[in-house]
Amino acid sequence: MRGARSVAVAALAALWAAAAGAQELRIGLSAEPSSMDPHFHNLTPNNSLLKHIYDRLIEQDENQRLKPALALSWKAVDDATWEFKLRPGVKFTDGSDFTANDVIYTFCRVPKVENSPSSFVINVRAVIGVSAPDPHTLILKTAQPHPLLPTELSNVAILSAKANGAGQVVFDRKECQNAGSFPKTEAFNSGQAAIGTGPYKLVRFTKGDRIIFERNDAYWGGKQPWERVVFRPITSAGPRVAALLSGDVDLIENVPIQDLPRIKSNPAFKVVQGLSNRIVYLHFDYIDDQPPGVEGTNGKNPFRDKRVREAISKAIDREAIVSRIMGGVAMAAGEMLPPTMFGANKDATAPKVDIEGAKKLLAEAGYANGFSLVLGTPNDRYVNDAMIAQAVAQMLTRVGLKVSVDAMTSSQFFARRNKRDFGLWLAGWGADSGDMSSPLKALLATPNRDKGMGTTNPGGYSNPKVDALLEQALATVDDEKRAALFAQASKAAMEDYGAVPLHFEMTTWAFKKDLTYTPRTDQNTLAMAVKPAP
Amino acid sequence: MTAIEHDAPVAHAAAAAEQGRLAQAWSAFAESRVAVGALGVAALLILVAALAPWITPQNPYDLTQLSIMDNMLAPGSRGFDGRLYLLGTDDQGRDMLSAIVYGLRLSLVVGIVATAIALAIGAAVGIVAAYFGGRLDSLLMRLVDIQLSFPAILIALILLAILGKGVDKVVIALVSVQWAYYARTIRSSALVERRREYIEAAQGLALPRWRIIFRHLLPNAFPPLIVVATVQVAHAIALEATLSFLGIGVPITEPSLGLLIANGYGYMLSGRYWIAFYPGIALLVAIVAINLVGDQLRDVMNPRLKR
Repeated sequence: MRGARSVAVAALAALWAAAAGAQELRIGLSAEPSSMDPHFHNLTPNNSLLKHIYDRLIEQDENQRLKPALALSWKAVDDATWEFKLRPGVKFTDGSDFTANDVIYTFCRVPKVENSPSSFVINVRAVIGVSAPDPHTLILKTAQPHPLLPTELSNVAILSAKANGAGQVVFDRKECQNAGSFPKTEAFNSGQAAIGTGPYKLVRFTKGDRIIFERNDAYWGGKQPWERVVFRPITSAGPRVAALLSGDVDLIENVPIQDLPRIKSNPAFKVVQGLSNRIVYLHFDYIDDQPPGVEGTNGKNPFRDKRVREAISKAIDREAIVSRIMGGVAMAAGEMLPPTMFGANKDATAPKVDIEGAKKLLAEAGYANGFSLVLGTPNDRYVNDAMIAQAVAQMLTRVGLKVSVDAMTSSQFFARRNKRDFGLWLAGWGADSGDMSSPLKALLATPNRDKGMGTTNPGGYSNPKVDALLEQALATVDDEKRAALFAQASKAAMEDYGAVPLHFEMTTWAFKKDLTYTPRTDQNTLAMAVKPAP
Repeated sequence: MTAIEHDAPVAHAAAAAEQGRLAQAWSAFAESRVAVGALGVAALLILVAALAPWITPQNPYDLTQLSIMDNMLAPGSRGFDGRLYLLGTDDQGRDMLSAIVYGLRLSLVVGIVATAIALAIGAAVGIVAAYFGGRLDSLLMRLVDIQLSFPAILIALILLAILGKGVDKVVIALVSVQWAYYARTIRSSALVERRREYIEAAQGLALPRWRIIFRHLLPNAFPPLIVVATVQVAHAIALEATLSFLGIGVPITEPSLGLLIANGYGYMLSGRYWIAFYPGIALLVAIVAINLVGDQLRDVMNPRLKR
């Protein structure tokens, strides 16, 4: 009797588990999104999650190449005019049709988000005029040739004009007409304004606990396999892994490297890893005559000497860092953007370690006896960042430099780095535009606030050749020519050792064995990329 | 007849009496075998720490002696150059045995130095407060109250956030959170001593105040501080380990026991237990040994517990 009952219970449980397994997907996130407003906070956890609710005109595929979404096609009519053909037959989740008016409304709303910690304005700033000759054609005007427009628009989620109470909107850079009052960020968080064209609908956003999505059966891109998706932010790595192993969630992102072997050896789970767009690199202070922490150079800034920078690059055994510190979950880098991405040099390989060569270069530069320096690093921002910095210190010590490592929490690190508190520092950069413009503009272009150049180049690296090639590339609309110019600019900066790339981070996902996941360079974790295993 | 002439034979007699008392104290202390064992362990740890550079196979603070090619080796394995790593290596290829001995040395030095400085400051403040009384006493003791009303770890965290990293900074932080204990303790025992006849006698002789305070009052009010100090050394070591574990104590290239544990913490689940386990054991043994010694000292010095 008891035996029969427990069999029945077990069978029921199995049935229930199978039913739930087929329809519900539970995902453990490593960071919590700050809002459900797609124009509030330009941050990977937000953007990744909001792709479930909202579509963009153009989307980035798993390698961040552009592909049609709400726009079927786009082309530059002339240097400063773009024509977008919109996808017909798309409906918002409130039942209204998607038309050019919604795009215009979106362009009007993006600059109007209150208290945005990181605005999306940069993505629509180039647009000075928008018009719609018919509901599914959009003409965009820019002041100058602006080849990055499609890339920038791939970051802008499209809202519904009608659902938010707007009429036929007329675009104006200062004040659009007929746009009504724009919805506040809170209205998105409560779900009231969370109306999009995406594959899922928001059911509930409970801060600190979970985000629940429900399938949008009217989605234009085909029906999704999951009826319901639950995202749970589990920010500490240990509990996230434990949640997967105990079956609380079906998939987790950012598996800690030290736990990978254990999960890989468990037949109930699978792990995929993919190259990310994030480079971990060393950068120099070129501005100060005596950079902080540098001693024994007779008052000279050693980093202004290319031979010293080259010696530092040569002293580093990138393969050893990848295999010993990163557990193989990284790729040694030869430039600042992974070779699969737009504008990269496909043949850029990581420099080989050459200790004798490094010593020789240091001696030629007049530092045969080395000098002391402090290597600044965050200890909670990049994968194993402080461990990498210590390994770099070890390797630099081997060629005669005296290195001490100053590791600190990231908020402190970035504040001090921006004040040039270190002569040499370790940092990371994610190319969220998916092309070479991102690292070159931010890290290697001569700092110029007005032009938006060198925004993360506090050490003041400046190379006229790089600047000229980059400027030329940014004004070239032809994709092939632009890619070639980016590649040349990057090569010029790398041959000058303007910054020293170490490795590209890889992103890991672990999940139950009856699922598959397509890894993405943008580190997004999307339910759309999870499929039941065939 | 000057005071100095008068003092000399007294001091002599006091020294003899002191010797007798010490012998007596030792025999009382030795009543507990556990305490004697703990004292032995503590002494051994201090000896090992003091001899660290001569007895360890590697200097874990010297980057040229480390190689990441030898990292995360299990206890008992051999490195690329055939060197034996008895307790394995950590993520930077540090020999765990050497790292533990050096870490212990750092932890003990920090604990003892911080305690000594805090003791000096606290004793001076407490005894001055007790001798002069009145407003000065209230002011100093309210200061102590304020200090003691904040959790030690909170004050230390704030201080280190302002001061930055480094062994000296950790010592400053530990001193700032500990001096108040000594001030409070010595004040209460000094208040009792202050009403004794010998103080009155000294005052009657018109000895200078500093002399009364530091030559007469201090030595007699001091014994309870020995107990507090012993226990506080253990506290200081634990607090330093906590701060380093949180990543704001000592520099990462010169790990103390707490930082070694923090380094290994992430590997506990992945089976590389030795990176956190052995430093943890070392820390545990050191703190337990010192606490046992402190406990027994308290029992010996507490007249109410005399059998």
